[in-house]
Amino acid sequence: MKFGLFFEISVPRPWEAETEYKVYQNCLEQVRLADELGFDQVWAVEHHFLEEYSHCSAPEVFLTACAMQTKNIRIGRGIVVCVPQFNNPIKAAEVAATMDIVSGGRLEFGTGRSATWTELGGFGADPDETKKTWDEWTRIIPKMWTQERFRYEGRAFSMPQRAILPKPYQKPHPPMWVAVTSPGTELDAADRGMGSLGLTFGGFAEQEKKIAEYRRRIKYCDPVGSFVNEQVNTVNFLFCHEDNEYGARTGQRLAGTFNYLAEQLLAARQAYPTRSYPNLGLLPALRREATSAPEGQIPEGLAIGNPDRIAEVVRKWEAVGVDRINFLLNAIETVPQEEVLASLRLFAKEVMPKFAAKPEPVAVGGGA
Amino acid sequence: MPLTGTRNLSALVGAAPLVSALDAAQWDLPGAQILQIMFEIGDEAMTSLLPPALHPTIPPTLVFTVTRFPESPVGPFVLAETRVGCRSGARPRGFLARGYCDSPAALKALGERWGYPLQLAEVTLAKRYDRIHAEVRAVSKTILDMTLLNPEPVSGNDLQYLASLNTAQVVRGGSTLPRLIQVDPEYAFRSADRGKPQLGSFDADAWQLAGARPVHPVSASFAVADVTMPVIRYLVDPAKPPLESVERL
Repeated sequence: MKFGLFFEISVPRPWEAETEYKVYQNCLEQVRLADELGFDQVWAVEHHFLEEYSHCSAPEVFLTACAMQTKNIRIGRGIVVCVPQFNNPIKAAEVAATMDIVSGGRLEFGTGRSATWTELGGFGADPDETKKTWDEWTRIIPKMWTQERFRYEGRAFSMPQRAILPKPYQKPHPPMWVAVTSPGTELDAADRGMGSLGLTFGGFAEQEKKIAEYRRRIKYCDPVGSFVNEQVNTVNFLFCHEDNEYGARTGQRLAGTFNYLAEQLLAARQAYPTRSYPNLGLLPALRREATSAPEGQIPEGLAIGNPDRIAEVVRKWEAVGVDRINFLLNAIETVPQEEVLASLRLFAKEVMPKFAAKPEPVAVGGGA
Repeated sequence: MPLTGTRNLSALVGAAPLVSALDAAQWDLPGAQILQIMFEIGDEAMTSLLPPALHPTIPPTLVFTVTRFPESPVGPFVLAETRVGCRSGARPRGFLARGYCDSPAALKALGERWGYPLQLAEVTLAKRYDRIHAEVRAVSKTILDMTLLNPEPVSGNDLQYLASLNTAQVVRGGSTLPRLIQVDPEYAFRSADRGKPQLGSFDADAWQLAGARPVHPVSASFAVADVTMPVIRYLVDPAKPPLESVERL
């Protein structure tokens, strides 16, 4: 089991001159500490226009700053929005390769397509198209990294032969992931030989079924990259405290705040009738299911409470097949920074040693 | 925390329907034709259209809906609503300050049973192969003209309708109080289309939405569905903060 951090970078109102600066500095401090404590990875989202919920529109910059301030922790683009109005596949490949070089081969490359009208509408993107362009980009980006020169005639993207430079430091290229929020996307990940970057906070039973199917399907995959990245990554909330009741109460406040902010956004499905985005507002439903519990009880899958309880939760996630857990540490600064840092330290001291990381890397760095 | 509405509803509530009993039985309304379009609106009205109990969506939106009910316990009628997209706590809702209806009997029944704040108007809905058009005329003036252009079939499962929060007065504990009544009909779809939205005219004042300025088209849909008007389950106190405002019946 590997552990990491996951940043949405949510910024509370009122937005004063120092507010965003302070939140970013707090996040960087958390990353530096996590690196010292032996956390394996840090992921940052790409979101636009999502007031308070996420002010992380340039994750490549934030993650580069993370890399420059740390030694070992891997940096995860979680995710590159593979929609032409947001990004360009050439630029995405170039930026990723540069991040991989300057970080010394520490990049994890997540892909996705955005799920809100707030963002899709803001960029003038067609919701019907996003799954198609994501699929096309995930096939061509690894070829841009590995072929000396690349040319392509596609459906939504074409280019004449050019050398796309630089090339990633990791050979053959960084591990590739898919953000899984819609039902069935974990199967898309499996079919393409990509890691499943789960963002749904689902409970144990729900996730166990999905992971089993992912493992079954990936055996027969047609990988988009040069290797199969069979890994299941999930997101959780973390608040670790000696006092189980205080830890659980604070953690539930953190999870509740995050979910409340998330549900203020205008989901693609709520605004635009399309088969491209699944019915029933599934993501909010899953979040509610995973983070709510009967009065006086702690939601089963959340890493909140004292170290013993959190270790037990992590063991259960390990048992259902999760390889990595990334933790959301805060939401609009609802937890004071000193408590966030103390929580990280306590988790690293009391919980992490019980879960030895597997020593072998997924892809090997080494330049030429 | 998210922005909340700033609107004082006292001016509206005086004209809102009185729902003296909150135990209205369901209505089954077969074969309803529902035209709905969504527009983003200018952010200058982001909080001023909503009461303190509700959060605006990001971005702020208006949802225009015209529905023809060919059968009902009070006969056929056409209902027009312009709702403000919002959240009640974390739940997606549409706030209705005023709607229009072409049938006096339906106007009375919908007001008394589900708190629809309606006025009488000429409401038309015309389905053509190239477009679906609706118009609302009140006091000899067009107050809404909207069109779905170039309809193309989709699945009814692709549509998602908002539950309404109707501005009304209710009797609670012997007192008459302003409340938003949650109305969340069930839909069994027979067919569905989507197309390009077009807004020909919109008189915000006539809908008690002063300052609402549609600026960016989002979507348009048309559906034929069997609609079940629900039993009332929730009330919202419009003046309270979002997390304290909902009352389950």
